[in-house]
Amino acid sequence: MTQGFIIHNRSMMRFIGLLGLFTLLVTLGSEAMGTGVISTSLVKTLGKTLCLCLIAIAMDVVWGYCGILSLGHFAFFGIGGYAIGMWLMYARTETIVTESLARQVIPPTPAEVTDAIGAQIFGVVGSSDFPVIWSFADSLILQLLMVVLVPGLLALVFGWLAFRSRVTGVYLSILTQAMTLALSLYLFQNDSGLRGNNGLSGLQNIPGFESTPQATISLVFFWGSALALGLGYMLFAFVVGGKMGSIVQGIRDNEARVRFLGYRVEGYKLFVFTLTAVVSGIAGALYYPQAGIINPAEIAPIASIYLAVWVAIGGRGRLYGAVIGAALVSLLSSWFTGGGAPDVNLGFYTVQWTDWWLVLLGVSFVCVTLFAPKGIGGLFDYLIRKPR
Amino acid sequence: MISLLEVSGVSKTFDGFRAINNLSIQINEPELRAIIGPNGAGKTTFMDIVTGKTQPDSGQVLWGERNESLTGLSEAEIANRGIGRKFQKPTVFENQTVRQNLAMALKNPRGPLAALFFKEPRTDAVRINEIAGEIGLADQLPRPAGELSHGQKQWLEIGMLLAQDPRLLLVDEPAAGMTAEEREKTTDILKRAARTRSVVVVEHDMEFVRRLNCKVTVLHEGHVLAEGSLDHVTADPTVIDVYLGRSDA
Amino acid sequence: MLRTLACLLIICAVAKGAAAQTLQPILQTHAAEVADPSRGSVSVVLDDLVASGLPQVPTFLERWSDKGVWQNTADGQFYYGRTDGDDLALTDIDTGTQTTVDRAGYTELRPNGGVRRVIGTALVQFQLSDPDLGRRQSAIDSIARRPDADQLAPLLASIDGEPDSLLRARKIQLANFLSASFAGDPADRIAAIDSLSRDTSIEARAVLNQILTTRDVVATDAPDGNIARILTVGTDITADQAYDRLVAADLAPAAIPSAAVRDALAANITDGRVGGIPTAQLNTEATRAQAYAALADRGLVPPRLTEEGRAAAIAAHVFAEVYTEDDPAITDAARAALSSVETRVAAASFADLTLDAMSLASIYFLAAIGLAITFGVMGVINMAHGEFIMMGAYTGYVVQQFVPDYTVSLILALPLAFAVTFAAGVAMERLVIRHLYHRPLETLLATFGISIALQQLAKNIFGTQARPLTSPSWLDGAWVMSDVIQISYIRIAIFVLALLFLGLILYILKRTRLGLEVRAVTQNPGMAASMGIDPDRINMLTFGLGSGIAGIAGVAIGLYAQVTSEMGANYIVQSFMTVVVGGVGNVWGTLAGASLIGSLQKGIEFLNPSNTLAAQTYMVLFIILFIQFRPKGIVAQKGRAAAD
Repeated sequence: MTQGFIIHNRSMMRFIGLLGLFTLLVTLGSEAMGTGVISTSLVKTLGKTLCLCLIAIAMDVVWGYCGILSLGHFAFFGIGGYAIGMWLMYARTETIVTESLARQVIPPTPAEVTDAIGAQIFGVVGSSDFPVIWSFADSLILQLLMVVLVPGLLALVFGWLAFRSRVTGVYLSILTQAMTLALSLYLFQNDSGLRGNNGLSGLQNIPGFESTPQATISLVFFWGSALALGLGYMLFAFVVGGKMGSIVQGIRDNEARVRFLGYRVEGYKLFVFTLTAVVSGIAGALYYPQAGIINPAEIAPIASIYLAVWVAIGGRGRLYGAVIGAALVSLLSSWFTGGGAPDVNLGFYTVQWTDWWLVLLGVSFVCVTLFAPKGIGGLFDYLIRKPR
Repeated sequence: MISLLEVSGVSKTFDGFRAINNLSIQINEPELRAIIGPNGAGKTTFMDIVTGKTQPDSGQVLWGERNESLTGLSEAEIANRGIGRKFQKPTVFENQTVRQNLAMALKNPRGPLAALFFKEPRTDAVRINEIAGEIGLADQLPRPAGELSHGQKQWLEIGMLLAQDPRLLLVDEPAAGMTAEEREKTTDILKRAARTRSVVVVEHDMEFVRRLNCKVTVLHEGHVLAEGSLDHVTADPTVIDVYLGRSDA
Repeated sequence: MLRTLACLLIICAVAKGAAAQTLQPILQTHAAEVADPSRGSVSVVLDDLVASGLPQVPTFLERWSDKGVWQNTADGQFYYGRTDGDDLALTDIDTGTQTTVDRAGYTELRPNGGVRRVIGTALVQFQLSDPDLGRRQSAIDSIARRPDADQLAPLLASIDGEPDSLLRARKIQLANFLSASFAGDPADRIAAIDSLSRDTSIEARAVLNQILTTRDVVATDAPDGNIARILTVGTDITADQAYDRLVAADLAPAAIPSAAVRDALAANITDGRVGGIPTAQLNTEATRAQAYAALADRGLVPPRLTEEGRAAAIAAHVFAEVYTEDDPAITDAARAALSSVETRVAAASFADLTLDAMSLASIYFLAAIGLAITFGVMGVINMAHGEFIMMGAYTGYVVQQFVPDYTVSLILALPLAFAVTFAAGVAMERLVIRHLYHRPLETLLATFGISIALQQLAKNIFGTQARPLTSPSWLDGAWVMSDVIQISYIRIAIFVLALLFLGLILYILKRTRLGLEVRAVTQNPGMAASMGIDPDRINMLTFGLGSGIAGIAGVAIGLYAQVTSEMGANYIVQSFMTVVVGGVGNVWGTLAGASLIGSLQKGIEFLNPSNTLAAQTYMVLFIILFIQFRPKGIVAQKGRAAAD
């Protein structure tokens, strides 16, 4: 990234500034700092929201800029979560098991420790053997590598197959949805090696930091999420800002023209698809330790469609639009479904938002598509003249 | 003059419809060539086959001094060998500026990583201004292409082809929907381009073809009916039969 | 109950008419055995009773077995009795004369379970020739449930007199089963077994498997008896299993598991050491083994068998499976018969699977055809299509709330569901989709918005629990062709419905003005518009038609699955797959896609029956690969227009 790029991208500078300010405010108000204006659970919610914003900008790049309506990016998010979750669960169970075995007169053999961990983790699915995919679960470094590699490789292989046979448009969307469905169905099986529909749990307990209060841990994760979002924003602003962005948007608007200009469209699509998948994986790896639990339902195709909804409402083709959409809709959603919104008494019927929020979301989504195709971000275009 | 493109014995059938039937055409370098023919004569399919959009059922498409076969190559590979194509409808990137449109077409490394870390050399800006002057859009560079008039979009697309610096330009109905004045300018652009490279123009409009003042190939039902100067082919009785003897001329 | 009474009356009447001899004296000769029978003693009584040939015998045996016989404690006479408060209604065994007495002077006979079984067997021969068809039937059923060598002779004897041809065939079949297992002469058994080789029923297979039962044998030399096979350790059984068998047969000492070793070590700690090794070092298998060996040397713990010792013990023995049936000729015949049966069963299962696949395919066809039509004509994927299916199903449910007769309500529900979803489709097209033409991806998302709103709306109205859509009783049950091939009537009905709609859609598309215009718009919308076809109208009608068929599909699916607000979502992905695999905008393509996906899903489920989730995963993977080779589906759209 050149200096010129950073200075000339004023909207990005503005975003980074705002993000920094927000992080500072949350930090000052958090329980860990002693003020307690913002509860720990709210810090967690905000941290999770930042992760959702990160995957939303990834979605915006792949859909808003490159025109691939992927209904599978939440699957990559989930894979990232599973990858880090495996280490968290393994390491924590190892601590517990070692402690309990240490009370015996005879010190345990390594095989006994492994067996006990296996029984602890896989007892719920009636097994105690470690599946092959857990081979690296004891190593944080390797599992972090998995966070990047597994979504990356999956996206690479899937994208190569799909783009090579020139599947585009609605077909491609359906195909990505099928991929997501296959993955979630696979994870739902007990013998998937990832605890079936129980998923991985207890992820909020970070091994080695048992004595650190959750208030501190959640704040650190909040910082991590903010940092990741900031870096991700810069990365994508760089990708879509230069010649790459020009070509990618060209592919979105007229794929054939780009092809006849001599660009290998497949390569570009694959690059964007894979890069955004990797970022999605990283976002997931930051999200799930804050959520505490991950299960296959999180990966179901519907989640990826919601992701598209956020980006559409926020405004496609502008990165800050994706951030606005993801933050607004996910926060509103937890406010409405969490019973935060007051019921409306119409006299003959009481509107309970826990029941009606999805109806409202669905209808407002249709309205945004119909009347404001540029989303909320489109409004900004009227207010702020984007510098060229 | 050397032979740049040699199409020999090419046939293509779409669900029983013979779009191209044992077609053989040879294009030299440099050369300006017009291809005319009634609807369904196979003009567009001919271009599709040369540019790799459609694979021929049989026959050969040979390219350059080394007579390399173009069949089986992808569109991008063929484009990078030096064949530029203009579509019938103007296809420019309407959301991007004229400058961005031209910059994208400029001859530079085409890989994703090269594009990601691309830093525009000073020579590129000079070249863009040059081409913009050539197509008469020098003062339109910062405008989004979507705001241009129909004719200007056609020129921008031709400009993008020139920016690719191709050896062969395939131009599909460049004058469609243009005013008389715009046509004249288009003719000039094409004639100038044909001084250093080969340009093949597919056109309906006889007046336009006459102004190009070049060798003409008449296609009919997927094969070459006549070839030569415009006066020569219009005197050919079979051509007259095809164009005048039928109601769709 | 009434029938039983009538039966009893008839039997009583018959008994009266033929009362040449009486039963009571025979009973009195065995009074002690009758009053307090045991399994051993009762047969004497039964033999005499059967030998008497008296018509009262079956009734007596039944009542005896049912604790309906009472004995006068004073004179030892037996009666049929029924308590009525403190009174007892008595019926004379031979004359049928009824009297009511105080129950104090009588005791009820209570034969135990074992005795009742013996009585039951004796009763069978009477029941097999009983004039009442129902009783003969139940006798046969009881033999089939509990086949026994004793029943063979009475069964064979009853075949000739059997007037009912169906029951006669059943008797012959059952006799074959019994002969195969119990006939005295091996040649008879082999003949019976051979005749079973053409019978694919579960019973026949059970009989053959019964004959081929084996037991596991461990011996130092080749074992005696009719050997099924000698097991090779390592391929047929694992070394662990083999050793366990040795232990079970007391041929080897039990292996000491590592947990037991640890406990033994823990029990023998002296001065922080076990067998001379500090406890802190006992965290590997090697040091533990060393310490344990030291303890064993001192005789504190039983010695642990080494790997070599274990291997030697296994090598020194032969592991085999031996048939419980001693005659090799019979087991050979049974094996041959079984393999022939299994071939037939495999063929039948394949036929059954094909039927299943066809019925699944017809559901997918109904669910997907609407989607395919709208996609073909308008290039629009309707994500709310699944919710239209749901809407149709709920329409059926609501109709049933008002029309209690299931047949009538079904007849009403089908057109009503079509009307409701047709209207919903048209409304959606007019209000939303019309404004989003040429933006297919946005249509996808807008219809998704509608989908979540409709789903939640249904949840708010109908609640989250599943609602039943009850099928009329004439659709209950299944068409059973054999034990292997059967298909429920509902599925047949859905198949017929799918065929009907296939015909209807083909008719509309090929034979009507609307169809012509639809095809024109599908192939070239611009040209169609310039020929004076109003694309707005066509779009509206096709969308309505597509949605209407979804409503019909909803009723059909609701009949065998439950109606929930999420039912549409369960079918939508499969419907997409059907459209994608089949090819866009072509009825035959959709049919081919539905057939492929239906048979694929059933096929994978058959190969991996325990895991339907895995089946779906594999199916989706297959489809992703399929798209690689035929990106445009099985029936690709033709012409140059398709290339753009």
